[in-house]
Amino acid sequence: MTDLIIILTLTALGYFAGSWAEKRHYLSIREREKQLLHLPAITMKDVPYPGEAVRSIHLAAGSAVISIDYFKRLLAGLRNIFGGTIVSYESLLDRARREALLRMKESAPEAAIIVNVRIETSAIGKYSSKRNIGCIEALAYGTAIELVQR
Amino acid sequence: MNYTPRLPGRNHNVTEVSPLRELAVLLGGLLAIIIFAYLLLGLGADLLVSRISPATEQKLAALLSSHYGKPSQPTPREIELQAIINKMEQSGCVDLPYPVSVHIVDSKTVNAMALPGGYITVFSGLLKIVRSENELAFVLGHELGHFKHRDHLRGLGRGLVFAFLATLTGTSESAVSQLAIKAVQVTESGFSRSQEAAADAYSLHILNCVYGHVGGATDFFIHMPKKLDPGHIGHYFASHPENKKRIQALIALQRKKGYRSGPLIPLPALKKRAVKEKKSYPSPR
Repeated sequence: MTDLIIILTLTALGYFAGSWAEKRHYLSIREREKQLLHLPAITMKDVPYPGEAVRSIHLAAGSAVISIDYFKRLLAGLRNIFGGTIVSYESLLDRARREALLRMKESAPEAAIIVNVRIETSAIGKYSSKRNIGCIEALAYGTAIELVQR
Repeated sequence: MNYTPRLPGRNHNVTEVSPLRELAVLLGGLLAIIIFAYLLLGLGADLLVSRISPATEQKLAALLSSHYGKPSQPTPREIELQAIINKMEQSGCVDLPYPVSVHIVDSKTVNAMALPGGYITVFSGLLKIVRSENELAFVLGHELGHFKHRDHLRGLGRGLVFAFLATLTGTSESAVSQLAIKAVQVTESGFSRSQEAAADAYSLHILNCVYGHVGGATDFFIHMPKKLDPGHIGHYFASHPENKKRIQALIALQRKKGYRSGPLIPLPALKKRAVKEKKSYPSPR
């Protein structure tokens, strides 16, 4: 009985706290995406700027780690049995990727453009304990190009 | 080539589905499958049990008892208990295909078990709280009821199915498997409840047949100390709402059948204590 109460409490906590955190995070992501819209981040390797126009180039990187909650894990566990899209993990990855991109842009405020942008994802703490509470890291990086001010 | 800054209108990477709905569908489906499988396999086990002949049961018991070790010379208390069983068997009130023998296991547990092959195991903790032969006879009669209805074999069959399902779901998510186990346990307790009730009824019948009255039948539940109540669906737990239902069912059955109450027979080993506490006996019903 005690185990069941613990499971239900954790699941409810995961659901309420997780949804609340997610909602807030998405609000912040949308707001900052609007603010940073002026800075393009593209996957092209090169953009044809004349040599004298470029002041400097440097690496811009941003990473974000988002944790899984008990509720999402339960849903994913159930999905493991039946198969299909693990919907509950989609928002985690989406948040991590977008947050990483935003942080990358925020790390290069002077840049005119960030080229050759790549995003990588890795799992953290997957085998850290029996409970298997994991989280994912998204790392976004690219080459920031700063132009000479005219 | 112009770069046009633009925000995506809709998020294509996140499926818009209510997580609670997803949970309800998945969990409901899983629990339904598990309970269905359990009922089906349990039914199979029950069917199998009804086909096990007493001879096969003896062989099965020999396998099991070789694990528990052969009982040595019976102790005076075991002889005392065996005498009550013999009295029941000789009176012609018990119709079992094999003789039943009683063994006492030293343990604080207040319980008794019916094992395959006609072995009743009584834990010494139970003997500490019984005060009359009638009360003890009710407990033994209850176990005889399990033999009569073959619940002891059924329990083995269902236990096996239960263990199988637990390992099956245990391979996936731990929380999921725990929920599944709880669901099966609730289903299981429904089964054991009806089995306990049937064994109680059988015991009441034997008590009336052997002693001519059913005095002391419900005493055991009353004497069970509250602190020993394990608090779940078990054999003889006391003060639990479930137990009150059992007492009520016994009293109702007693009225329906017209069984009357009568004087209690003190246990030989407990005579002194019983005499001392005579005044505190609950009035016979």
